[in-house]
This record gives sequence, structure tokens and C-alpha cells, in this order.
Amino acid sequence: MSATPGLYLSSAGGYPRIGDSPELQALRRTIAALDRGERSHADLLDVQNDVTRQVIAEQVKAGLDVVTDGLIRWYDPISHLAGKLDNIEIKGLVRFFDTNTYFRQPVFVGAPIKRGNLAAGEYSFARNALGHLPTPQGKAGKLSIKSVLTGPYTLGRFSLSEQSGDGSSEAYASLEARAQAYAEILASEFEPLSQAGAELIQIDEPAAIKYPNDWAIFEASLALLIQARDRITKSGRKLELALYVYFHDCAPLYEKLLALPVDIVGLDFTYSPKLVDIVASAGSPKWLGLGLIDGRNTKLEDPAQIARQIDRMLPKIKDQRAFLGPSSGLEYLPRDRAFAKLELLSKVRAELKGQKRQ
Amino acid sequence: MSRQKLESLGLKLPLFPTTSVGSFPKPDYLAKARAEFNKKRISEKDLHDLERKATAFWIEEQEKLGIDVLVDGEMYRGDMVAYFAERLPGFSISGLVRSYGNRYYHKPIISSEVAWRTPLTVDWWKYAQSLTKKPVKGMLTGGYTIMDWSFNEFYPDRRSAALALAKVVRKEVEALIAAGCKIIQIDEPALSVRPEELPIALEAMDLTTKGQNAYFITHACYGEFDKIYPGMLDLAVDNFDLEMSNSDLDLLELFRRHPFTKDISFGVVDVHSHRTDSGEVVRKRIEQALTILPKEGVWVDPDCGLKTRTVEQAIEKLRACVTAAKSFRNE
Repeated sequence: MSATPGLYLSSAGGYPRIGDSPELQALRRTIAALDRGERSHADLLDVQNDVTRQVIAEQVKAGLDVVTDGLIRWYDPISHLAGKLDNIEIKGLVRFFDTNTYFRQPVFVGAPIKRGNLAAGEYSFARNALGHLPTPQGKAGKLSIKSVLTGPYTLGRFSLSEQSGDGSSEAYASLEARAQAYAEILASEFEPLSQAGAELIQIDEPAAIKYPNDWAIFEASLALLIQARDRITKSGRKLELALYVYFHDCAPLYEKLLALPVDIVGLDFTYSPKLVDIVASAGSPKWLGLGLIDGRNTKLEDPAQIARQIDRMLPKIKDQRAFLGPSSGLEYLPRDRAFAKLELLSKVRAELKGQKRQ
Repeated sequence: MSRQKLESLGLKLPLFPTTSVGSFPKPDYLAKARAEFNKKRISEKDLHDLERKATAFWIEEQEKLGIDVLVDGEMYRGDMVAYFAERLPGFSISGLVRSYGNRYYHKPIISSEVAWRTPLTVDWWKYAQSLTKKPVKGMLTGGYTIMDWSFNEFYPDRRSAALALAKVVRKEVEALIAAGCKIIQIDEPALSVRPEELPIALEAMDLTTKGQNAYFITHACYGEFDKIYPGMLDLAVDNFDLEMSNSDLDLLELFRRHPFTKDISFGVVDVHSHRTDSGEVVRKRIEQALTILPKEGVWVDPDCGLKTRTVEQAIEKLRACVTAAKSFRNE
């Protein structure tokens, strides 16, 4: 597989759903009003749609090539997908890695069943929203939107199973069984996503590098997604699979990550001081997502320094093709700073082209 | 061992001393007053008066319940990190970031060198202590957690930021001790979230407490203790306050494998539930603790701060702790 060389600017997933000004707090106000019984779920959907359009527009304005819907509708990275399944109950709050944010823990009470689509509807809306934006100069045919799914291993790792009266949930007592169950369901979502126009699906598996002893379980669950991708590409449609890992040092697993049969591996450089050296020296037989911009800290990086790091790595990456982005989704930042981080991506590219702005 | 330290500080506590983790729910009048203050509809003095009234209420309630080591209940604090960040030079406050669900907060930013100019908690401690003859804990947040829960735009790395903050917290410790405080709790809820950074947390606590003449407690929760145990026992404190009930006492298994060498404030009541665990369940938890831990080192308290409960629920949970602890003293 070959592709156009170059550095693409890409979102890594989430985006802050509110800002500090009153007009940017519509979603917060609507959810609070819904909780008080003063607004309906239809009202919430309207506001989620508006905010999704806004955050896509912000990503385009910042100069990105690959955007997402900002995961605006997600309660959290774990319960959003799991909560749509029958026989999975969403329970108490658990801390999400070291973020000091929390997710609601899914509990298997039986065999999970998918009714309707999980992500294709949301993707379709977002793709349509992107299509309705005026195309910025020089971006015709170059803007795309990817779908983001939390991976089956991470979903399984943060779910539990509860003993049910009829014994139907006991089959999910093991992590392996939960990860496989999620993998089967997510794999079945690839076809509707492809039908909705998705050509790039990002699978987030932060738990895979945090718990490397489970690598075989992670790999086995990923295999089902690979098969789903291959079925689509064999039918002549384009579908690339990106695996994104973050919130832990991925350097010790670099070779193993690159050996996985995905198209793109997205790496968080903020936990791995030596990762630039490793990529620059070992190279990559895969396209890489370069999470060089810290998605968890408000401090703005020096674009020239980031450009120098990319200069060292890009020649050693397959097709000299990479996706520069934040180290993780940006929802851990205030909205204004998240936008500034996205703008920084364009500044880095300008540095690389020797066209430093200002 | 630490019981001797308590006695050397002039503190004679019964077996199974009862305490609480720090925060209590704010009475309705105070919650409303804080909202009014934020809208600039009442003065700072009006709010302060109500905070004092609520503090006095909680001291009285703790006295009535028979708790041994009291807290001021943090009626004047919103968040355990923001309270300090809003008052310390070196911090600015960011735009809103999400905590979970529809909850957002202004996360602190370390934007220049942090410093300590004036006591931040001493007046509140003095006020609370003036209302009771029982010891009141000084309540602080540790340098590692303040670092972890803030953005860092100034220090070159996380270690430098944590150590700078640890020195600031030490100044507050010194001020509390100078005011007469003998038991100081320095919370580190972020202690276990990055196990590879345990050495930084240890170094930070060392900078804060080393050579200081007080009995130190730290509270930690929500973490992967299996990854930092037994290394965490090197933290320079006398007592670990741990959330035991919420995890079905699974930490006891770790203590079986490697002896727990500090005093422990053993969380015997789940704080996340509206209802209070039955007396039998609470007693059972203490019994299980005593299969591994020496009774001289066991304190009894709820799992975590009670600020998310109603006033009535918080009192019931505290009562469950006291009833259970007293029943063991007589055995």
C-alpha cells in the first residue's frame, strides 16, 4: 500500500464540548435543564448537533486535514459505546487512567446485543456537517473525517461482569471473553460505517500499553477488527484502520505495535522521552500518528522544536507519511486552549515548509 | 510505634480512634450562599460568617457523635486543589474543563514560580480548635497531587513542579504546627495513578514533613495500590487513610503478602452510597482488619470525604464508624 507522502494534520479524537462564554455553554445548560425535567431528549439532540457542527468547523478553521466529530455525544470513552448494548448496565464512576476524569463502568449482566448502529449514525451526521462547510483554500478534496471507537480490549478491561440469576453473564467473567464480545460487536459496525462513507476508523486502545501482560488478549480482539476491515477492502472499498495508544509510555512496545496489521499507529510522545530517538533510528514500516502536541497540558509547544523532531522522524516513516496531532483527545483542556493547540499544528507545518508565520 | 509519637505530642487517644477524611456536606444555607456570592449578591463577610456557622455546626455534631479526632469539614473550600491554587502565588486559573458527566471546573495552571506568602488554613484550624477540647486535624493537599491536578506551564517537568509545591506545603505545615496543631493530614489522592512516579511522590512528601514535629496522615483513594505497594510505605507519614470498603477490603490481601508497617485509618463505610452500611457489616470489616493489622495502629473512619452526601447521610455514616469502633474497645 502506498500513499501520498506528507505530513497530515489530524485530530486525535475528543474536543472540549463547552467553552467559557455563555454562548459556548449551551450543551451544559441543556443537560442541566434536561435533568430538571425542563428540556427533552430531542432538545439535547439539537444542541449536540449544533456543538458537533461547531467543533468540526473549529478543526477546519485551525487547518486540520483529518477531523473528528469531537466525541461531543460521548458521556465518556467507555460507557458511550457499551451503554448502547443490551445486557450491559452502566454503573458507578471509576477514574480514567491518570486523567482525574471519570467514566461510568459497564457491567455485563448477560450476552451483549447490539440493536441498531453504534457509531455509523453519528459518523454520518458529522460527515454531512463537514460537507456543508465552505472548503478552505487549497483543501479541496483533502479534508476528511474519521470515525473514533474505543477498542474492544480497553472496553473489556474497564468492564465487569455480574453474576446473573440465569448464569448468562458468567461467560463474561474473563477479560478475554469481554474483549472478544466487544470486538465482535465493533467489527460488525465497520460495514455500516463504511456504507456511511468512513474510509478511516481510529481504534483507541490506551489500556493495551498500560497492561502489556494482556497483549495476547488485546491482539486477539484486534484480529476481529482487522478481518472486518479486510472484508471491506476486498470488496473494493477503501478503509484504513488506525490504532491509537496514549496515557502511558509506549516505547517498550514500539516494535510490537508496529507489527500489528493496522494501517496507522498513533503514538503519545508525552509519556516517552526517548520515542523521537527510537522512531528516528528504527524507522517505521507503517504510517504513524505523531502525538507530539501535549493534549493534557495548556502549555503551548514551540513549533520550531516540534518541526525539528518531525524532520528527524519523517524520512524514516513508511512513504514519509505521518499524521501530526495531539497526544490524546483534547477534551482535557479548556476550549480556547484546545483550539490554540490545533492552530499550533499548522504552525508546525509552516515551520517545516520554511514559511514561518508572524 | 506511632502511638508513642502521639503520646509524645501530648495526645492520648483511645484504641480505634475515630476520625473522618476531611470534607462534610455544606448545609443548604451555605450552598445557597456560595452561589449567591459567586453572583456577587452577598459580600465576602456574609459568606465567611456562614462558613463559620457551618464549621461550628460540624464541630458540635462530631462532638455529639463522640468522634476522637475532628476535622473542620472544609466549609470554606470548594475543591481540595483549587482552594490552594486560588491563593498561592504562581497559579492562574484556566477555562472550564470537564470532570465527568456535566460537571466542569476551573483547573489551576502553574504559570510562574510557586511561593508561600501567608497561611492558608491556619485561621480556620484555630477557629475549629477553639470550639473543642478534642484534637482537630490540619487538612492539606500534598505537592504531588496539586501538581497532578494542575496544568504546568512553568516547571520543566512534573518532578520539579511537585517538589516546588511540596516546599510550599511544608511552609503551611510549619504554620499549622506553630499554631499548635499536632495532627496534620496531607492528602495525596493522586498517589497511585502513575505508579512509575511513586519516587516523586515519596520525595515530595519527604520535603514536606521531614523533621516536622506532628503526627502525619495521608489519604489516598481510587488507585492501583497493587502497583505501588509496598513501596508506598516509604511515604514520610505515620498513618495511611485508605478507602477500604469500596474495594471490598481487597487491599488486605496485599497486606498479607507484605506487612503494613504504618498506622492505618481504615475506611469502614462506603461514601458513594446514599444508604449506610449496617452495623454488622461495619463490625465485620474491622474484624477482618484485625486479622492482619495490630489493633494499636487501627483508626476507624469512612472511606473518603463525605461532601457529596446529605448532612443526614453523613451523620449516619459517621455514627456507624463510632458505634463500631466503640464496640471493639470493650472487647
